[in-house]
Amino acid sequence: MLATGVTTLPDAASAHPHVFVVAREEVLFGPDGRITGIRAAWTFDDMYSSFAIQGLGEADKILTSEQLAPLAKTNVESLAEFGYFTVGKAAGKQVSFGEPTDYLLEEGSDKLVTLRFTLPLKEPAPANKAFTLQVYDPTYFVSFEFADKDPLALKDAPSGCSASVAKPRPLDTGDNQKLSEAFFSNMSPGVDFGIKLASRAVVACP
Amino acid sequence: MRSPLRLPWRRIVLGLALPCVLAGLLALMAPHPAFAQAHNPFGVGISEGGESDDGLTGWLLQQQALFERHLSAAVRAAKSDGSAVWTLMGLSFAYGVFHAAGPGHGKAVMASYLFANERALRRGLVLSLLAALLQGLVAILLVGVLALVLHATAQRMKDAASLVESLSYAGIAALGAWLVWQKGGAFVRTLRAPSFPALSASDLSASDPHRHKPSAASQPHAGHGPGCAHGHGHDDHGHGHHDHPSPQRLAGLGHHPSPDGHHHDHGAGTPHVHGPDCGHYHAPDPATLGEGFSWREAILTVVAAGSRPCSGAILVLVFSLAQGLFAAGVAATIAMALGTAITTGALACLAVLAKNLTVRLSSPGSRRGVLVVRGLETLAALLVLGAGLSLFMGATSLGGA
Repeated sequence: MLATGVTTLPDAASAHPHVFVVAREEVLFGPDGRITGIRAAWTFDDMYSSFAIQGLGEADKILTSEQLAPLAKTNVESLAEFGYFTVGKAAGKQVSFGEPTDYLLEEGSDKLVTLRFTLPLKEPAPANKAFTLQVYDPTYFVSFEFADKDPLALKDAPSGCSASVAKPRPLDTGDNQKLSEAFFSNMSPGVDFGIKLASRAVVACP
Repeated sequence: MRSPLRLPWRRIVLGLALPCVLAGLLALMAPHPAFAQAHNPFGVGISEGGESDDGLTGWLLQQQALFERHLSAAVRAAKSDGSAVWTLMGLSFAYGVFHAAGPGHGKAVMASYLFANERALRRGLVLSLLAALLQGLVAILLVGVLALVLHATAQRMKDAASLVESLSYAGIAALGAWLVWQKGGAFVRTLRAPSFPALSASDLSASDPHRHKPSAASQPHAGHGPGCAHGHGHDDHGHGHHDHPSPQRLAGLGHHPSPDGHHHDHGAGTPHVHGPDCGHYHAPDPATLGEGFSWREAILTVVAAGSRPCSGAILVLVFSLAQGLFAAGVAATIAMALGTAITTGALACLAVLAKNLTVRLSSPGSRRGVLVVRGLETLAALLVLGAGLSLFMGATSLGGA
């Protein structure tokens, strides 16, 4: 009885990140000017990169994507349960993604590992109303951050489309207060830190 | 005789303190995402966030994130500059302090165990230090054996870490079951005991009087009126009713002997007379605390609380290894463990103090007081059992999503 009581307590989004990802996202357009998918490129930090490729290949040699293929498959498969840490909204309505395609892992000359995959939209979404894209881990175990340079690209977009990335506002004192109050009253902050710290990419087409 | 001026206060403080203690123990465990979370795709085999799940302030989150980023920079620096190892160790120590400053099951288990069992501050500190060191050692062994010796892949390391984690959860459940058996049994015995003194019979061994140092050194305890109970800081161990001191000695101290009064030898030879209901409590001298303490239980607690390695330590070790500096990673991990011990030690102090306060406030001489203490001990034990079971089911997917 007590065990179930403990189990059903709300989980707080309260881990602190152990893995840091710099994300570059590409919004893919169909011939009709609608958005058909997202192409992600996530570069992991040095510590996680060395963990991920631990024991693979020979030491001091850059791994090929073929060597990393099984790991890439495991990664994208286990990402499904987490919604690929990706939330896309067309005119405020959340879009749903199909199975990822064209996935691969590559190790750069700086020994950082990048995961690339394409997330097709189940139904193409209109882009003439704002399309927003956020990449975050609600549990904040993984910290996602858009790259400083070229964070968001548009592929085959109709002319006149624009893309911008809004960095998150820093957690202000109000958030902190809300958190601690909530923590002591419900033992759950009730808010996701991951999303509070997430950047928001916005695509707008005429 | 109850003092009408003192008792209401004690009840009020107790009424306020007990929910706080319970809420504290619950709060330590509740936010652990493992209760509701599957393994993160980019985890290292330890379900979520390693040992650290805080969330009290965004500031703390950001500090920890910064520390972890600095750690890898310090390892890189140590590659070319040997003195940077000291920077790395300093950072790791601070990381350990911060990292442990939040709810986590290990801390919850340790705090619950200490609350249920422990009365000696020093031993509480030693146990939490051992748990922190064990945590570092497990990470070093895991990475040392699997990555350094066997060149295992990340997937195999994840599997091994998950296995260690499941075993540690099973250990928590086992510890909880043992504590429930012990503490719940004592609670039920007290409940069934027909009349006060509930601490008599099995608890009070008339043939085994023990000595203990008075907490207030040479002060004679002259402040207690007649009919004052004398509660001791020893679990399951009362004191014998000695011969009453001679009336002459008592008269000199202004005591009136009462039929219920009894006298202890306080080592210093101070006469000490109490009857029921005064709730006088002595902090025990740690040196005399051999009784009621089981090393087997303590070791099980250390293993249960400390055998799950933390993700941060595993990452630093693997990264150091990849940089060809495994020794630096080991040094960093030990520094991290010592930092963790600072924070968990503070928590151990709180748990032991909370226990001592509870005992002091709950009129240890009265049947009700004994019931309150035994009941709380049983609750703490149930919390350990519940946490162990749900963590184990979560980690082994027995409990569904």
